[in-house]
Amino acid sequence: MQMQFSYEVKDTYAEVKSVGRLNMVAAPKLREVVNEVVAGGSNRVVVNLAETNFMDSSGLGALIGCLKAARQAGGDLRIAAVQPQVKMVLELTNMDRVLTAYPSAEEAFGDD
Amino acid sequence: MVSTSSPRQAVVVEDDADIRGLLVLILEQLDFVVTEASDGLSGVEAVRNTNAELVTLDINLPDIDGMEVCRRLREFSDAYVLMLTARADEIDRLNGLDTGADDYISKPFSPKEVQARIRALFRRARTPAAPAEDQRQVDELERAAVVQQSLLPRETVRVEGYDVAGAFRPTRSVGGDFYDWYQTSDGMHLTFADAMGKGMGAALIAATVRAVMRSVADTPAIADAFGSASATITSDLDQSGSFVTMFHARLDSASGKLSYIDAGHGLALYVPADGAAQRLVSAGPPVGILDDQLWPAAELELEPGDSLVIVSDGVLDAHDSLEEFVINVEKVTRNGATSDEVCAALLELAPAATAEDDVTAVVVRRKR
Repeated sequence: MQMQFSYEVKDTYAEVKSVGRLNMVAAPKLREVVNEVVAGGSNRVVVNLAETNFMDSSGLGALIGCLKAARQAGGDLRIAAVQPQVKMVLELTNMDRVLTAYPSAEEAFGDD
Repeated sequence: MVSTSSPRQAVVVEDDADIRGLLVLILEQLDFVVTEASDGLSGVEAVRNTNAELVTLDINLPDIDGMEVCRRLREFSDAYVLMLTARADEIDRLNGLDTGADDYISKPFSPKEVQARIRALFRRARTPAAPAEDQRQVDELERAAVVQQSLLPRETVRVEGYDVAGAFRPTRSVGGDFYDWYQTSDGMHLTFADAMGKGMGAALIAATVRAVMRSVADTPAIADAFGSASATITSDLDQSGSFVTMFHARLDSASGKLSYIDAGHGLALYVPADGAAQRLVSAGPPVGILDDQLWPAAELELEPGDSLVIVSDGVLDAHDSLEEFVINVEKVTRNGATSDEVCAALLELAPAATAEDDVTAVVVRRKR
Protein backbone atom coordinates (compact mmCIF):
# COMPACT_ATOMS: atom_id res chain seq x y z
CA MET A 1 0.00 0.00 0.00
CA GLN A 2 1.15 3.51 -0.76
CA MET A 3 2.06 5.45 2.37
CA GLN A 4 0.03 8.56 2.90
CA PHE A 5 0.05 11.44 5.32
CA SER A 6 -2.54 14.11 5.92
CA TYR A 7 -2.82 16.71 8.61
CA GLU A 8 -5.40 18.86 10.32
CA VAL A 9 -4.68 21.88 12.49
CA LYS A 10 -6.90 21.88 15.59
CA ASP A 11 -7.32 24.36 18.45
CA THR A 12 -4.38 23.32 20.62
CA TYR A 13 -2.43 20.95 18.39
CA ALA A 14 -2.01 19.67 14.85
CA GLU A 15 -2.84 16.06 14.05
CA VAL A 16 -0.82 14.21 11.40
CA LYS A 17 -2.44 10.97 10.24
CA SER A 18 -0.16 8.22 9.01
CA VAL A 19 -1.62 5.45 6.87
CA GLY A 20 0.37 2.40 5.80
CA ARG A 21 3.92 1.16 6.40
CA LEU A 22 6.29 3.67 7.93
CA ASN A 23 9.51 2.56 6.22
CA MET A 24 12.41 3.91 4.22
CA VAL A 25 10.10 5.05 1.41
CA ALA A 26 7.58 6.80 3.66
CA ALA A 27 10.01 8.28 6.21
CA PRO A 28 11.09 11.34 4.17
CA LYS A 29 7.44 12.13 3.40
CA LEU A 30 6.52 12.13 7.09
CA ARG A 31 9.38 14.55 7.77
CA GLU A 32 8.18 16.79 4.96
CA VAL A 33 4.63 16.89 6.27
CA VAL A 34 5.64 17.54 9.89
CA ASN A 35 8.11 20.22 8.83
CA GLU A 36 5.32 21.88 6.89
CA VAL A 37 3.05 21.73 9.94
CA VAL A 38 5.72 23.17 12.24
CA ALA A 39 6.67 25.83 9.70
CA GLY A 40 3.00 26.73 9.53
CA GLY A 41 3.06 27.68 13.22
CA SER A 42 1.84 24.53 14.98
CA ASN A 43 4.57 23.28 17.29
CA ARG A 44 2.38 20.82 19.21
CA VAL A 45 2.08 17.84 16.89
CA VAL A 46 0.36 14.49 17.35
CA VAL A 47 1.18 11.72 14.90
CA ASN A 48 -1.82 9.41 14.76
CA LEU A 49 -0.52 5.89 14.07
CA ALA A 50 -3.87 4.07 14.23
CA GLU A 51 -3.47 2.92 10.62
CA THR A 52 0.25 2.19 10.65
CA ASN A 53 0.91 -1.47 11.34
CA PHE A 54 4.60 -1.52 10.50
CA MET A 55 7.54 0.74 11.25
CA ASP A 56 11.25 0.09 10.65
CA SER A 57 14.33 1.98 11.81
CA SER A 58 13.96 4.57 9.04
CA GLY A 59 10.42 5.25 10.25
CA LEU A 60 11.66 5.56 13.81
CA GLY A 61 14.34 7.93 12.57
CA ALA A 62 11.71 10.09 10.91
CA LEU A 63 9.65 10.27 14.13
CA ILE A 64 12.76 11.31 16.04
CA GLY A 65 13.68 13.91 13.44
CA CYS A 66 10.14 15.26 13.71
CA LEU A 67 10.32 15.28 17.52
CA LYS A 68 13.52 17.31 17.32
CA ALA A 69 11.93 19.74 14.88
CA ALA A 70 8.88 20.26 17.10
CA ARG A 71 11.01 20.75 20.23
CA GLN A 72 13.30 23.15 18.38
CA ALA A 73 10.20 25.23 17.65
CA GLY A 74 9.36 25.28 21.36
CA GLY A 75 6.72 22.58 21.16
CA ASP A 76 6.54 18.80 21.36
CA LEU A 77 5.64 15.78 19.27
CA ARG A 78 3.57 12.94 20.66
CA ILE A 79 2.25 9.76 19.14
CA ALA A 80 -1.20 8.24 19.45
CA ALA A 81 -3.01 4.95 18.82
CA VAL A 82 0.22 2.95 18.50
CA GLN A 83 -0.25 -0.53 16.98
CA PRO A 84 1.52 -3.67 18.29
CA GLN A 85 4.48 -3.87 15.88
CA VAL A 86 5.22 -0.16 16.24
CA LYS A 87 4.96 -0.49 20.03
CA MET A 88 7.43 -3.36 19.89
CA VAL A 89 9.98 -1.31 17.92
CA LEU A 90 9.61 1.57 20.38
CA GLU A 91 10.15 -0.73 23.36
CA LEU A 92 13.08 -2.59 21.80
CA THR A 93 14.93 0.62 21.14
CA ASN A 94 13.92 2.09 24.48
CA MET A 95 12.34 4.96 22.59
CA ASP A 96 9.05 4.55 24.43
CA ARG A 97 10.66 6.69 27.15
CA VAL A 98 11.40 9.50 24.69
CA LEU A 99 8.36 9.34 22.42
CA THR A 100 5.32 9.38 24.63
CA ALA A 101 2.40 7.29 23.35
CA TYR A 102 -1.23 8.18 24.04
CA PRO A 103 -4.37 6.14 23.41
CA SER A 104 -5.83 8.75 21.06
CA ALA A 105 -4.87 12.00 19.34
CA GLU A 106 -7.37 13.93 21.51
CA GLU A 107 -5.68 12.76 24.70
CA ALA A 108 -2.11 13.47 23.58
CA PHE A 109 -2.15 17.11 24.65
CA GLY A 110 -5.15 16.72 26.93
CA ASP A 111 -3.20 17.30 30.13
CA ASP A 112 -1.66 20.64 29.21
CA MET B 1 17.75 1.83 -22.29
CA VAL B 2 16.75 -1.33 -24.13
CA SER B 3 16.97 -4.13 -21.69
CA THR B 4 17.45 -7.64 -22.96
CA SER B 5 17.19 -9.41 -19.61
CA SER B 6 13.57 -8.56 -18.76
CA PRO B 7 10.57 -7.98 -21.02
CA ARG B 8 9.97 -4.39 -22.09
CA GLN B 9 7.03 -2.75 -20.36
CA ALA B 10 4.56 -0.42 -22.05
CA VAL B 11 1.49 1.45 -20.83
CA VAL B 12 -1.48 2.38 -23.00
CA VAL B 13 -3.43 5.37 -21.69
CA GLU B 14 -6.66 5.61 -23.68
CA ASP B 15 -10.30 6.03 -22.61
CA ASP B 16 -11.87 4.41 -25.67
CA ALA B 17 -11.92 0.67 -24.95
CA ASP B 18 -11.79 -0.34 -28.62
CA ILE B 19 -8.81 1.82 -29.51
CA ARG B 20 -7.13 0.74 -26.27
CA GLY B 21 -7.53 -2.92 -27.22
CA LEU B 22 -6.09 -2.25 -30.66
CA LEU B 23 -3.06 -0.43 -29.24
CA VAL B 24 -2.43 -3.28 -26.81
CA LEU B 25 -2.37 -5.74 -29.71
CA ILE B 26 -0.02 -3.52 -31.72
CA LEU B 27 2.41 -3.25 -28.82
CA GLU B 28 2.22 -6.92 -27.93
CA GLN B 29 3.28 -7.71 -31.49
CA LEU B 30 6.42 -5.72 -30.71
CA ASP B 31 6.97 -7.96 -27.66
CA PHE B 32 5.99 -5.42 -25.04
CA VAL B 33 4.25 -6.43 -21.83
CA VAL B 34 1.34 -3.99 -21.86
CA THR B 35 -0.57 -2.39 -18.98
CA GLU B 36 -3.82 -0.58 -19.80
CA ALA B 37 -5.16 2.60 -18.22
CA SER B 38 -8.46 4.27 -19.06
CA ASP B 39 -7.70 7.64 -17.50
CA GLY B 40 -4.74 9.92 -16.90
CA LEU B 41 -4.15 9.43 -13.19
CA SER B 42 -4.20 5.63 -13.32
CA GLY B 43 -1.93 5.90 -16.37
CA VAL B 44 0.66 7.84 -14.35
CA GLU B 45 0.46 5.22 -11.60
CA ALA B 46 0.80 2.37 -14.10
CA VAL B 47 3.99 3.90 -15.51
CA ARG B 48 5.33 4.36 -12.01
CA ASN B 49 4.50 0.78 -11.03
CA THR B 50 5.78 -0.95 -14.16
CA ASN B 51 8.74 1.32 -14.84
CA ALA B 52 7.53 1.32 -18.44
CA GLU B 53 9.81 2.22 -21.33
CA LEU B 54 7.02 3.21 -23.67
CA VAL B 55 3.73 5.06 -23.16
CA THR B 56 1.02 5.72 -25.70
CA LEU B 57 -1.06 8.63 -24.55
CA ASP B 58 -4.40 9.96 -25.75
CA ILE B 59 -4.71 13.74 -25.49
CA ASN B 60 -8.36 13.73 -24.49
CA LEU B 61 -8.87 11.81 -21.29
CA PRO B 62 -11.74 11.91 -18.79
CA ASP B 63 -9.74 13.32 -15.85
CA ILE B 64 -6.48 15.11 -16.63
CA ASP B 65 -5.44 15.64 -20.24
CA GLY B 66 -2.57 14.00 -22.05
CA MET B 67 -0.37 17.09 -21.73
CA GLU B 68 -0.74 17.04 -17.94
CA VAL B 69 -0.12 13.27 -17.82
CA CYS B 70 3.09 13.81 -19.76
CA ARG B 71 4.22 16.61 -17.46
CA ARG B 72 3.71 14.34 -14.42
CA LEU B 73 5.45 11.41 -16.09
CA ARG B 74 8.51 13.54 -16.76
CA GLU B 75 8.95 14.04 -13.02
CA PHE B 76 10.08 10.43 -12.63
CA SER B 77 10.14 8.65 -15.98
CA ASP B 78 12.17 8.89 -19.18
CA ALA B 79 9.88 6.51 -21.04
CA TYR B 80 9.24 7.18 -24.71
CA VAL B 81 5.89 8.92 -24.97
CA LEU B 82 3.86 8.63 -28.16
CA MET B 83 0.93 11.02 -28.05
CA LEU B 84 -2.27 10.31 -29.94
CA THR B 85 -4.65 12.99 -31.10
CA ALA B 86 -7.97 12.84 -32.91
CA ARG B 87 -7.09 15.90 -34.99
CA ALA B 88 -4.34 15.75 -37.57
CA ASP B 89 -4.15 19.56 -37.69
CA GLU B 90 -3.30 19.61 -33.97
CA ILE B 91 0.04 17.95 -34.50
CA ASP B 92 1.75 21.10 -35.80
CA ARG B 93 0.58 23.00 -32.74
CA LEU B 94 1.70 20.22 -30.39
CA ASN B 95 5.11 20.12 -32.05
CA GLY B 96 5.51 23.74 -31.11
CA LEU B 97 4.77 23.09 -27.45
CA ASP B 98 7.17 21.61 -24.99
CA THR B 99 4.87 18.78 -23.95
CA GLY B 100 7.61 16.27 -23.15
CA ALA B 101 6.23 13.79 -25.70
CA ASP B 102 8.65 12.11 -28.11
CA ASP B 103 6.34 11.80 -31.10
CA TYR B 104 2.74 12.42 -32.21
CA ILE B 105 0.36 10.41 -34.27
CA SER B 106 -3.20 11.20 -35.36
CA LYS B 107 -6.26 8.99 -35.25
CA PRO B 108 -7.27 7.07 -37.19
CA PHE B 109 -3.88 5.42 -37.39
CA SER B 110 -2.63 2.35 -39.17
CA PRO B 111 -1.07 -0.33 -36.93
CA LYS B 112 1.93 -0.53 -39.25
CA GLU B 113 2.57 3.17 -38.91
CA VAL B 114 2.40 3.04 -35.11
CA GLN B 115 4.85 0.15 -35.05
CA ALA B 116 7.22 1.94 -37.40
CA ARG B 117 7.15 5.06 -35.25
CA ILE B 118 7.87 3.06 -32.11
CA ARG B 119 10.80 1.26 -33.72
CA ALA B 120 12.14 4.63 -34.80
CA LEU B 121 11.80 5.98 -31.27
CA PHE B 122 13.82 3.12 -29.84
CA ARG B 123 16.54 3.60 -32.44
CA ARG B 124 16.92 7.21 -31.40
CA ALA B 125 19.48 7.81 -28.68
CA ARG B 126 18.11 8.97 -25.37
CA THR B 127 19.04 12.37 -24.10
CA PRO B 128 22.07 11.83 -21.90
CA ALA B 129 20.80 13.86 -18.91
CA ALA B 130 18.62 11.26 -17.24
CA PRO B 131 20.94 8.26 -17.64
CA ALA B 132 23.86 10.36 -16.37
CA GLU B 133 21.88 11.15 -13.23
CA ASP B 134 21.04 7.46 -12.79
CA GLN B 135 24.69 6.61 -13.26
CA ARG B 136 25.70 9.15 -10.66
CA GLN B 137 23.35 7.54 -8.14
CA VAL B 138 24.60 4.07 -8.99
CA ASP B 139 28.19 5.27 -8.58
CA GLU B 140 27.42 6.77 -5.20
CA LEU B 141 25.69 3.57 -4.02
CA GLU B 142 28.66 1.53 -5.19
CA ARG B 143 31.02 3.80 -3.28
CA ALA B 144 28.79 3.59 -0.19
CA ALA B 145 28.79 -0.20 -0.45
CA VAL B 146 32.60 -0.16 -0.60
CA VAL B 147 32.74 2.00 2.54
CA GLN B 148 30.29 -0.28 4.34
CA GLN B 149 32.18 -3.41 3.33
CA SER B 150 35.47 -1.90 4.47
CA LEU B 151 34.12 -1.50 8.01
CA LEU B 152 33.78 -5.22 8.60
CA PRO B 153 36.66 -6.96 10.34
CA ARG B 154 39.05 -8.47 7.81
CA GLU B 155 40.40 -11.09 10.14
CA THR B 156 38.58 -13.68 12.14
CA VAL B 157 39.15 -13.19 15.81
CA ARG B 158 40.91 -16.05 17.60
CA VAL B 159 40.04 -16.24 21.24
CA GLU B 160 41.13 -19.42 22.97
CA GLY B 161 38.11 -21.53 23.85
CA TYR B 162 35.58 -19.56 21.75
CA ASP B 163 34.08 -19.83 18.28
CA VAL B 164 33.35 -16.35 16.93
CA ALA B 165 31.75 -15.57 13.55
CA GLY B 166 29.93 -12.77 11.77
CA ALA B 167 27.93 -12.50 8.56
CA PHE B 168 26.57 -9.58 6.62
CA ARG B 169 24.27 -9.29 3.61
CA PRO B 170 23.87 -5.78 2.22
CA THR B 171 20.83 -4.46 0.40
CA ARG B 172 21.17 -2.66 -2.89
CA SER B 173 20.33 0.62 -1.19
CA VAL B 174 23.19 0.23 1.37
CA GLY B 175 22.19 0.58 5.00
CA GLY B 176 24.17 1.44 8.10
CA ASP B 177 24.78 -2.00 9.62
CA PHE B 178 28.25 -3.09 10.64
CA TYR B 179 30.07 -5.12 13.25
CA ASP B 180 33.60 -4.91 14.49
CA TRP B 181 35.77 -6.94 16.82
CA TYR B 182 39.37 -7.16 17.95
CA GLN B 183 41.41 -9.23 20.32
CA THR B 184 42.60 -7.83 23.61
CA SER B 185 45.10 -9.19 26.14
CA ASP B 186 42.34 -10.90 28.11
CA GLY B 187 39.76 -11.65 25.43
CA MET B 188 37.97 -9.50 22.89
CA HIS B 189 35.87 -6.39 22.32
CA LEU B 190 32.83 -6.46 20.06
CA THR B 191 30.70 -3.68 18.56
CA PHE B 192 27.49 -4.25 16.63
CA ALA B 193 25.78 -1.15 15.28
CA ASP B 194 23.08 0.06 12.91
CA ALA B 195 23.19 3.68 11.78
CA MET B 196 19.79 4.94 10.74
CA GLY B 197 19.47 5.80 7.08
CA LYS B 198 20.68 4.56 3.72
CA GLY B 199 23.43 5.15 1.23
CA MET B 200 26.60 7.12 1.70
CA GLY B 201 25.23 9.07 4.68
CA ALA B 202 24.63 5.92 6.72
CA ALA B 203 27.93 4.36 5.60
CA LEU B 204 29.90 7.43 6.72
CA ILE B 205 28.16 7.53 10.10
CA ALA B 206 28.92 3.83 10.54
CA ALA B 207 32.59 4.53 9.71
CA THR B 208 32.72 7.27 12.36
CA VAL B 209 31.10 5.04 14.97
CA ARG B 210 33.57 2.26 14.29
CA ALA B 211 36.58 4.57 14.61
CA VAL B 212 35.30 6.24 17.79
CA MET B 213 34.53 2.91 19.43
CA ARG B 214 38.03 1.66 18.63
CA SER B 215 39.52 4.82 20.11
CA VAL B 216 38.15 3.99 23.58
CA ALA B 217 39.45 0.41 23.61
CA ASP B 218 42.00 1.20 26.33
CA THR B 219 39.56 2.89 28.71
CA PRO B 220 39.37 0.39 31.59
CA ALA B 221 35.65 0.41 32.48
CA ILE B 222 33.19 -0.39 29.70
CA ALA B 223 30.60 2.16 30.93
CA ASP B 224 33.23 4.95 30.89
CA ALA B 225 34.47 3.89 27.47
CA PHE B 226 30.95 3.80 26.06
CA GLY B 227 29.96 7.06 27.73
CA SER B 228 32.89 8.96 26.25
CA ALA B 229 32.48 7.38 22.80
CA SER B 230 28.75 8.07 22.69
CA ALA B 231 29.25 11.73 23.64
CA THR B 232 31.59 12.12 20.66
CA ILE B 233 29.22 10.27 18.34
CA THR B 234 26.22 12.30 19.54
CA SER B 235 27.92 15.61 18.80
CA ASP B 236 28.80 14.33 15.30
CA LEU B 237 25.26 13.09 14.69
CA ASP B 238 23.67 16.35 15.72
CA GLN B 239 24.40 17.70 12.24
CA SER B 240 22.72 14.84 10.42
CA GLY B 241 19.63 14.21 12.56
CA SER B 242 20.52 10.53 12.55
CA PHE B 243 21.06 8.01 15.33
CA VAL B 244 22.78 4.69 15.90
CA THR B 245 21.58 1.60 17.74
CA MET B 246 24.51 -0.22 19.32
CA PHE B 247 25.50 -3.30 21.22
CA HIS B 248 28.99 -3.19 22.67
CA ALA B 249 30.58 -5.99 24.69
CA ARG B 250 33.86 -6.96 26.30
CA LEU B 251 34.69 -10.59 26.92
CA ASP B 252 37.07 -11.92 29.53
CA SER B 253 37.85 -15.24 27.93
CA ALA B 254 39.26 -17.09 30.94
CA SER B 255 36.22 -16.53 33.15
CA GLY B 256 33.61 -16.23 30.41
CA LYS B 257 32.49 -12.94 31.91
CA LEU B 258 30.84 -10.72 29.31
CA SER B 259 30.16 -7.04 30.11
CA TYR B 260 27.86 -5.34 27.68
CA ILE B 261 25.90 -2.19 26.95
CA ASP B 262 22.85 -2.11 24.74
CA ALA B 263 21.89 1.32 23.40
CA GLY B 264 18.51 0.93 21.74
CA HIS B 265 19.47 -2.18 19.83
CA GLY B 266 17.55 -4.79 21.80
CA LEU B 267 18.34 -7.67 19.45
CA ALA B 268 21.07 -9.51 21.35
CA LEU B 269 20.20 -12.93 22.76
CA TYR B 270 21.87 -15.07 25.36
CA VAL B 271 21.34 -18.73 24.43
CA PRO B 272 22.59 -20.92 27.29
CA ALA B 273 23.51 -24.56 26.68
CA ASP B 274 20.86 -25.46 29.23
CA GLY B 275 17.81 -23.32 29.78
CA ALA B 276 15.72 -20.87 27.80
CA ALA B 277 17.12 -18.12 25.58
CA GLN B 278 16.94 -14.61 26.96
CA ARG B 279 16.81 -11.40 25.01
CA LEU B 280 19.19 -8.87 26.54
CA VAL B 281 17.08 -5.84 27.33
CA SER B 282 18.25 -2.47 26.14
CA ALA B 283 19.67 -0.16 28.81
CA GLY B 284 18.72 3.07 27.09
CA PRO B 285 17.80 4.75 23.81
CA PRO B 286 20.02 4.72 20.71
CA VAL B 287 23.12 6.94 20.59
CA GLY B 288 22.57 10.38 19.08
CA ILE B 289 19.10 11.19 20.36
CA LEU B 290 19.63 12.80 23.73
CA ASP B 291 22.63 14.67 25.12
CA ASP B 292 24.04 13.56 28.47
CA GLN B 293 22.56 10.11 28.21
CA LEU B 294 24.17 7.36 30.29
CA TRP B 295 23.91 3.65 29.61
CA PRO B 296 24.55 1.29 32.51
CA ALA B 297 26.58 -1.83 31.77
CA ALA B 298 25.30 -5.32 32.49
CA GLU B 299 27.06 -8.66 32.79
CA LEU B 300 26.50 -12.28 32.02
CA GLU B 301 28.65 -15.37 32.18
CA LEU B 302 29.24 -17.55 29.16
CA GLU B 303 29.55 -21.15 30.32
CA PRO B 304 30.87 -23.83 27.96
CA GLY B 305 28.25 -24.41 25.26
CA ASP B 306 26.57 -21.00 25.78
CA SER B 307 26.15 -18.55 22.90
CA LEU B 308 25.73 -14.83 22.51
CA VAL B 309 23.83 -13.95 19.32
CA ILE B 310 23.33 -10.46 17.93
CA VAL B 311 21.32 -9.69 14.80
CA SER B 312 20.15 -6.55 13.01
CA ASP B 313 16.53 -5.44 12.70
CA GLY B 314 16.38 -6.87 9.18
CA VAL B 315 15.99 -10.28 10.87
CA LEU B 316 13.32 -9.02 13.27
CA ASP B 317 11.35 -7.39 10.42
CA ALA B 318 10.94 -10.81 8.80
CA HIS B 319 8.95 -12.00 11.82
CA ASP B 320 5.42 -11.26 12.95
CA SER B 321 6.22 -10.91 16.61
CA LEU B 322 9.14 -10.61 18.98
CA GLU B 323 8.24 -13.99 20.52
CA GLU B 324 8.41 -15.74 17.15
CA PHE B 325 11.72 -13.98 16.45
CA VAL B 326 13.25 -15.18 19.74
CA ILE B 327 12.02 -18.75 19.16
CA ASN B 328 13.52 -18.89 15.65
CA VAL B 329 16.84 -17.35 16.65
CA GLU B 330 17.14 -19.79 19.54
CA LYS B 331 16.30 -22.72 17.26
CA VAL B 332 18.93 -21.93 14.60
CA THR B 333 21.50 -21.18 17.30
CA ARG B 334 21.03 -24.61 18.85
CA ASN B 335 20.98 -26.39 15.48
CA GLY B 336 24.22 -24.93 14.10
CA ALA B 337 27.39 -26.94 14.75
CA THR B 338 29.65 -23.90 14.36
CA SER B 339 29.19 -20.14 14.76
CA ASP B 340 29.62 -19.78 10.98
CA GLU B 341 26.74 -22.19 10.38
CA VAL B 342 24.58 -20.32 12.87
CA CYS B 343 25.33 -16.98 11.18
CA ALA B 344 24.37 -18.37 7.77
CA ALA B 345 21.10 -19.74 9.18
CA LEU B 346 20.32 -16.42 10.91
CA LEU B 347 20.66 -14.60 7.58
CA GLU B 348 18.29 -17.14 6.06
CA LEU B 349 15.62 -16.11 8.60
CA ALA B 350 15.30 -12.92 6.54
CA PRO B 351 15.12 -14.20 2.93
CA ALA B 352 17.03 -11.98 0.52
CA ALA B 353 14.07 -11.79 -1.84
CA THR B 354 11.88 -9.95 0.67
CA ALA B 355 14.32 -8.20 3.02
CA GLU B 356 14.17 -4.40 2.77
CA ASP B 357 17.14 -3.85 5.02
CA ASP B 358 20.70 -5.07 5.51
CA VAL B 359 20.91 -8.27 7.49
CA THR B 360 23.79 -8.81 9.91
CA ALA B 361 24.55 -11.46 12.51
CA VAL B 362 27.33 -12.13 14.99
CA VAL B 363 27.70 -15.26 17.12
CA VAL B 364 30.09 -15.80 20.05
CA ARG B 365 29.97 -19.36 21.36
CA ARG B 366 32.04 -20.74 24.21
CA LYS B 367 33.32 -24.14 23.21
CA ARG B 368 32.40 -27.13 25.31
